[in-house]
Amino acid sequence: MADTTMEIEKKVTATPQQGERTRERKVYSPGADIIERTSDILVLADIPGADERSVDISLEKNVLTIYANVETTIPDNQRLIIMEYGLGDYQRAFTLTDEVDKERIQATVKNGVLRLLLPKADGMKTKKIEVKAEA
Amino acid sequence: MNIKDLMQFGKKNPLLKREEDNPYAVLRRDIDSLFDNFLRGVDTEFFGSGSGVFTPKADVRENDKELRVTIELPGMDEKDIDLSLSGDMLTIRGEKKEEQEDKGKDYFRLERSYGSFSRTIPLPVEVESGKIDAYFKKGVLTITLPKSVKAISETKKIEVKVG
Repeated sequence: MADTTMEIEKKVTATPQQGERTRERKVYSPGADIIERTSDILVLADIPGADERSVDISLEKNVLTIYANVETTIPDNQRLIIMEYGLGDYQRAFTLTDEVDKERIQATVKNGVLRLLLPKADGMKTKKIEVKAEA
Repeated sequence: MNIKDLMQFGKKNPLLKREEDNPYAVLRRDIDSLFDNFLRGVDTEFFGSGSGVFTPKADVRENDKELRVTIELPGMDEKDIDLSLSGDMLTIRGEKKEEQEDKGKDYFRLERSYGSFSRTIPLPVEVESGKIDAYFKKGVLTITLPKSVKAISETKKIEVKVG
């Protein structure tokens, strides 16, 4: 990996799934690492400029959506001379399988990296349905 | 029908002199500018790509008093960032380490970058090297460089008068 140069290019996300935006701003799809470990799945997403208060994570059915709002405060009429990265929010959705225990998902943000811990469910518990005799 | 009517295109129209009116000239100019722009993008890559494994992205802003450089460095620690100024070159170095956790892991997706990086940003004006302020917050490094008194006084606004 040492001899390949990697460029960090922010990608603009596809049309947001949650309908119309109330604010006019760019939304990027954050780069993410997804690592499966023995007892959980770890997702690391780069969201520079966002902190724990500005990240919104929602789980709807099987789709886990992360949205991170980046505050854009530019002091005292500063002019842009060089722009390599765009300012904007982040959004990305992941589809989870039943393997993940949806009740125990944990998320932390540190130094602009969102860390999602998706614990695996204790085996794939099958529920036993008791059959009762009709009265 | 006179044969001369069919030779309409061959006729020299005295008004057809400007290059813009000649479709071939326009096409040629467009193609030329296409190549020019393309090559310009290659050789004037502003900061150079550096020698690192990955190239973090930087934005540079200025106002009358200061320059402000912001660099996206998600997942780094402030102590892993090395900042230096020599002359008018601002150099940022660092290394982003991959998380080493328990064994038995499997990668589904690797989109983030790890490794060392080095970026040198040429500053457009002289700055007060003793008053540079840098802070790292939320994965973004912000460097504020006040312009030197000389640089501020040398900036002149030229009034445009009505002739």
